[in-house]
Amino acid sequence: MYVIIVYDVNVKRVNKVKAYLRKHLLWVQNSVFEGEITKSQLERIKKDLSTICNESEDSVIIYSFRTKKAMKKEVLGIEKSSISEII
Amino acid sequence: MTRKNYYILTDGILKRKENTLYFINKDGKRPLPIHSIYSIYAYSSLSISSQVVNLLSKEGIPIHFFNRYGFYSGSFYPRETLLSGDLVIKQAKHFIDNEKRLKLASDFVKGAIFNMKRVLSYYGLDNNMDTLLEDLKSCKKITEIMNVEGRARADYYKLLDEILPEGFRIGERTRRPPENMANALLSFGNSLLYSTIISEIYNTQLNPTISYLHEPFERRYSLALDISELFKPIIVDRLILYLIKKNMIDETDFEKDLNYSLLNENGKRKFVTEYDKRLKKTIKHRKIGRKVSYKRLIRLECYKLIKHLLGKEKYKPFISWW
Amino acid sequence: MISDAEKKLLIRGTQVNYYFVCRTKLWLFSHHIQMEHESDIVELGKLLHDETYKREEKSLILDDLISADFVRKGKLLEVHEVKKSDKIEEAHFFQLLYYLYYLKKEKGIEEIRGFIDYPKLRKKKEIRLTPDNEKRLKKVLEDIDTVVRGDFPRPQKKSRICRSCAYLEFCWA
Repeated sequence: MYVIIVYDVNVKRVNKVKAYLRKHLLWVQNSVFEGEITKSQLERIKKDLSTICNESEDSVIIYSFRTKKAMKKEVLGIEKSSISEII
Repeated sequence: MTRKNYYILTDGILKRKENTLYFINKDGKRPLPIHSIYSIYAYSSLSISSQVVNLLSKEGIPIHFFNRYGFYSGSFYPRETLLSGDLVIKQAKHFIDNEKRLKLASDFVKGAIFNMKRVLSYYGLDNNMDTLLEDLKSCKKITEIMNVEGRARADYYKLLDEILPEGFRIGERTRRPPENMANALLSFGNSLLYSTIISEIYNTQLNPTISYLHEPFERRYSLALDISELFKPIIVDRLILYLIKKNMIDETDFEKDLNYSLLNENGKRKFVTEYDKRLKKTIKHRKIGRKVSYKRLIRLECYKLIKHLLGKEKYKPFISWW
Repeated sequence: MISDAEKKLLIRGTQVNYYFVCRTKLWLFSHHIQMEHESDIVELGKLLHDETYKREEKSLILDDLISADFVRKGKLLEVHEVKKSDKIEEAHFFQLLYYLYYLKKEKGIEEIRGFIDYPKLRKKKEIRLTPDNEKRLKKVLEDIDTVVRGDFPRPQKKSRICRSCAYLEFCWA
């Protein structure tokens, strides 16, 4: 499956969330990650994020698609980070 | 399986930070999510610290290194976690027992010839490879089997030359260094495939150093050489023909100074991009009842080999069915 | 750390389970040709355990490969097996029976009750080590030894359980 995760969390936890997501997904731009993962990986991410975050202050939104093909992506302006596997 | 191959073609440093990887060079730094990596192919000048190696080892991620010509130089094969003493013994038994070894060696060549035939017939080229398949049946020695393989490949390249544009004909197969563009592409592609197969073997209980068609001393991971015979036509050769036929690759992708005998960075980039697309391409596997990628087909071949080594289920080499 | 005795218990527990699921799987698993590490279904199973029972006391019997267990201490010792669905009940039944038997034999704990929990189905089933059950279990353990010591039992016929099995590709490639 393909997911996009966006977050708006207390500044105290921003770096923690970012560092955590960097291990699993591709950084797209500030507070946005995306990438292809398995169901269990998503469950793991949800579980870990809920430990890192504070439910009454933070917000994390997960958009998921069955495959990457089910999603269309367009970029206006500059692309902040390449997500290609060929570097 | 969603983990991906990463191919690094630009010079830089691979660093470990907060338990994930970063690729850093003059243009900036880019995090590479550690849980998204299956293997790394390093083509550029890449600096790596022992912390990176430790992390790769912990996560079971092999990294393959190529020199600046794109030739394979070696792999970091992480500490093995999938071990079965029982299987290693059986692998060795099948090597020591001459009849058993011949059977497997000849199967690899049989599969290779069938797959070459597939490529030829895809391009409408008539061939008499069936006589070689007949010759294979009467082989009593590994060297004889190797000889059939050599003849098959020579015939095959000669036939492919009929449909290749003039500048891209193979002619004689030359290796170190390759003497023309077609040979450069073949060498580059075969090294890449060899590494891909090493990664697949790593993810099984097979020991990569015990082989049947090739002598175990030929290369460190000689089993990968055996398996690569089956997949070269379908993965590498088809890709090369595609690149040439679609005019996707031309003289400007080669090192002019080296008589066009090596791919330049741009050429390498094109090649690995299309190679990776091909590995991800899926086809329906009837027996499993699911779509599998070309890359996964290599893993399935390892599984079939394991079943053969365990006895009972005779190995049938991979033959492309599409 | 997992003690050797517990590790043995764990492996045998899984073997008992696999014995009822598939002989090929039992044999391969026992010969260290294991596929569980790549299965998303197995991974989800592990997560299910962590999620549902994080408030429970730490497990004495440690995380298994496909099942997960915990122990609750009260007047009696309660051994719990957590399962996703009740599809393979016999396997679950004997696996837990084996744990009870092992605790009795090796650790001398007799004041004990077994439960299979199906959190998704909100179901719970109690199991006791009666003399009759013990006899049935011993027969199963003997059979397991015979299968494991024997030749590799090649996959026979693809069945419905193959679809979610970690060994699917291995068997049918």
